Amino acid sequence: MTVNSGAAPTGREGGDNLLAVEDLHVYYGNIAAVKGVSLHVKQGEIVTLIGSNGAGKSTTLRTISGLLRPKKGTLTYDGQNLATMRGDKIVGAGICHSPEGRRIFPRMTVEENLDLGAFLRNDKAEIAADKERVLELFPRLRERITQKAGTMSGGEQQMLAVARALMGQPKLLLLDEPSMGLAPVLVDLIFDTIKTIRDQGTTVLLVEQNALAALRVADYAYVLESGALKLTGPARELAKNDEVVSAYLGG
Amino acid sequence: MSQTAIEAAEARPSLAVGALLERGTGYLLLLAVAAFAVWHLVATPAAFFTTLVVGINQGALYALIALGYTLVYGIIELINFSHGDLFMLASVLSGFLMVSAFGATAATTGAFLALIATLVLAMIFGAALNTTAERVAYRRLRRAPKLAPLITAVGLSFVYQWGGIKSNGSGQRNWDTILGSSGFTVLNVKVPWSMIVVTAVTVPLLLGLNWVIQKTRQGKAMRATAQDQDAARLMGIDVDRTISLTFALGGAMAGAAGLLYLQTFGTTRYDAGFQLGLIAFTAAVLGGIGNLNGAVLGGVLIGLVQALNDRFGLGVAYSQTVVFTILILLMVFKPEGILGKPTTEKV
Amino acid sequence: MATTTAAPGTAAAAAKAHTTNRKWAVGLLIAVVVIFLLYSQILPNAPADVQTFFRRWLSVSAVNEAVLWVVFALGLNIVVGYAGLLDLGYVAFWAIGGYVAGWIMSPFASSMYSSWGGLKVSILGRPPDIEGLDTGIHVNFWLVLPIAGLFCALWGLIIGAPTLRLKSDYLALVTLGFGEIIPQILRNGERIGPNGVFNLSNGDKGISPVDPIPTWPISYIPGVPDELALKASDLPYKFLVYCLLAALTIFVSLRIREGRLGRAWLAIREDELAASMMGVPLMRTKLSAYAVGAFAGGLGGVAFATHVGGVFASRFDFAISITLLAMVVLGGMGNVWGVTVGALALAWINSTGLEQVGQQINSSFGTDIDFPSYQFLLFGLILILMMLFRREGLLPETRTRQVLQEPERGELESVGADLEGEPK
Repeated sequence: MTVNSGAAPTGREGGDNLLAVEDLHVYYGNIAAVKGVSLHVKQGEIVTLIGSNGAGKSTTLRTISGLLRPKKGTLTYDGQNLATMRGDKIVGAGICHSPEGRRIFPRMTVEENLDLGAFLRNDKAEIAADKERVLELFPRLRERITQKAGTMSGGEQQMLAVARALMGQPKLLLLDEPSMGLAPVLVDLIFDTIKTIRDQGTTVLLVEQNALAALRVADYAYVLESGALKLTGPARELAKNDEVVSAYLGG
Repeated sequence: MSQTAIEAAEARPSLAVGALLERGTGYLLLLAVAAFAVWHLVATPAAFFTTLVVGINQGALYALIALGYTLVYGIIELINFSHGDLFMLASVLSGFLMVSAFGATAATTGAFLALIATLVLAMIFGAALNTTAERVAYRRLRRAPKLAPLITAVGLSFVYQWGGIKSNGSGQRNWDTILGSSGFTVLNVKVPWSMIVVTAVTVPLLLGLNWVIQKTRQGKAMRATAQDQDAARLMGIDVDRTISLTFALGGAMAGAAGLLYLQTFGTTRYDAGFQLGLIAFTAAVLGGIGNLNGAVLGGVLIGLVQALNDRFGLGVAYSQTVVFTILILLMVFKPEGILGKPTTEKV
Repeated sequence: MATTTAAPGTAAAAAKAHTTNRKWAVGLLIAVVVIFLLYSQILPNAPADVQTFFRRWLSVSAVNEAVLWVVFALGLNIVVGYAGLLDLGYVAFWAIGGYVAGWIMSPFASSMYSSWGGLKVSILGRPPDIEGLDTGIHVNFWLVLPIAGLFCALWGLIIGAPTLRLKSDYLALVTLGFGEIIPQILRNGERIGPNGVFNLSNGDKGISPVDPIPTWPISYIPGVPDELALKASDLPYKFLVYCLLAALTIFVSLRIREGRLGRAWLAIREDELAASMMGVPLMRTKLSAYAVGAFAGGLGGVAFATHVGGVFASRFDFAISITLLAMVVLGGMGNVWGVTVGALALAWINSTGLEQVGQQINSSFGTDIDFPSYQFLLFGLILILMMLFRREGLLPETRTRQVLQEPERGELESVGADLEGEPK
């Protein structure tokens, strides 16, 4: 696999993709935010979408999780077409989204937030086990389990957002800028945790502005600019690519 | 850029003096009201306690109606203008059911059974009508500028009032009630039996509502949706259905209030909803809009204030003036009410 | 520099607006002349059944009232239509204007305070010729108009001031509160103060009569009565007076719209945050909207008092505020001509149309439906259906359509902050 430009075929199109997005166009009113983006995520991978502010990364994620509807294009997940599915059904199918800006429920405690992550689930024992697992991943949350989420720091809220998404037992975890506003030490922690999450069996689609950290942890990367694909390729290759280095890696 | 935004959004006097003045005047006002109450308590205790009883009775009704306002506002930030008129329609319906259909006009066991049946029917009616209104009128306007659903709500209020005129006439209609104005006396204070009924219905309803909101899955969904609609969606919550449920609960509360109003006062008027609705809304704001306990607290407080005014203050003729003045003062100085949290103005 | 929210568009758009305005103005002017001639010259000499027809379907009294509704509707249009402030208590200004006339244009003032019995003030006024009724304060109608206007403008400031920091829904409630409080005080205002010595408004009884409208110097034209009271032959001339007021309101509405204040109002309506960041002084601009709108209400209130021959507190209720809102919504928020037509149409429907059409239908189909009782339903549905299907009004102006159709700014931001500009 090599680095490709723009919308050139990546060789990942066929067969066994967990998520296949083809020629996605998303509009806000009359403004095109995503113009013909295609991406593919295979089971067990960490795939990352990087690009500068306003490139359309969050929009793409929001369309996958059903918060937005595409004007054109298909989103196939596990054989189902996401574009016609209701948001709650998408969650039920195993896609959990930790959104940009965290969006935790401020007046609820950490525990209540986590419980809401498991809203659609009925398996009490499993849920309890998952809660344990999640608190192992984020011990800070265990300390604050009865605290109102709105009173926590930005970093803690970010952890809560990811933990909450994990409570849905996702097959595909969508993470939107999990390192935003975090101290460098916490950034490392978060990305290590992402690796652990993947190792535990969850596929991850990661949107990040912190291209360096994202490329270090991902398997495959898509670079978005102005709503369209600029470059695609294995993360390691992209990290060495001159354009990427100069544009996003401060090189 | 963000600095200007904050300055623009918070036109509040940033001077410490200004804030202090506001706070000081507020406390002064409260002190004055308290002093007023205490004076009358001491001067004419029997009258005072009777007034208290009336106030709590009214307050319970206001609390039930206020809950409807606060539930809807909490979840979609809309003042459901037509809510008070929904209550009025429920009271008219209750009148027809109790008197015309069941003939329950005296305190017999049959009459009490009819009361329970009517209560259920009135609550179903309230829930159904409110949910339908949401589906038909408000849902389409969820993303529209705030003016649009507001105007729609006003229009709906008028349509309901027309329904009131058609079914109840343009004047007041009197109905025989189960308990009439009979009551018992305790220490020179007359306690009407209807108040016992009102309390007996309201308290379980409030407890039940609280249980639904706090302990059930749908209740959690409602609270989550009220705090962050998008995040709620991401949890797999069906936001549309949750909003419908909220309207249903609010409408049911108004339905119950309608029946209780009928049994307490024995009258129905097409414009009773408009008047009481605004008072109930003031109660919701007083307690803290969006806060359920606040609605109850506000309801009782407003009921007391109104009763005090009607008996000892400017009199019934100025009842609305007093309550609306409270509303205006609240909006200007303390829009978050007693139990609410101060929010920055959303411009 | 100035962006789309500051200026109403290109020179071409302005020119087009000018021709439209001119067409409407000319059209309405012709209509006024025709109607005046109809009622003053033609009808009195027409055969009886023609006279009956008009009396039933288009009585001069109904026409006069419709014109007055235009004045109020245009006043509300400034607050709601231009500045986007949902004022649900506009009826308060109608009432205040009327009571100003009641205080300084009638014998009432001499009974306001027990020791004022002999009060007799006249400023170019027209006190009644009857002994005993010439007490009180009698100011010339034409002077009372601006006085009432200014007094109402003051009240506009008072009512508007608490709402300045509020969101649209709270704002609506506060104005509604005032719209209830003020009439309630007036309805009970017979005995105010210690021992109830002060009679503010004569309570439910209202104040009646009010002085006639002096027509000097037009009275020099033969055939013109030198004052307009309640005689049938006075009515066509009152029509002219009311049309004059309506024309003034239309003119001011159109002119202000093009000036800086008008553009500031539209900017606020569209997006308060953006407007303030561009230097629009929010408080002052909002207050001016209330004040100007209220001024119109004052004019209308005085005129209405001369129309019905008095001021009656029981008339002033929430339904009036809603009717006015329906007129503004129907005509198109901000569209002066649309609101004018909407006001005329709805006023006519209210006073005549419902009843007469109802009678026709009932007699043709043998039904027995009480059509006037459908008034609330009609106005409620107008508000709902217009909001659901045609928010910009029946005769929209392009700006309103843009403002009301596009998703709210807040909405856009919540959905995705990474909005993209045009491709480079």
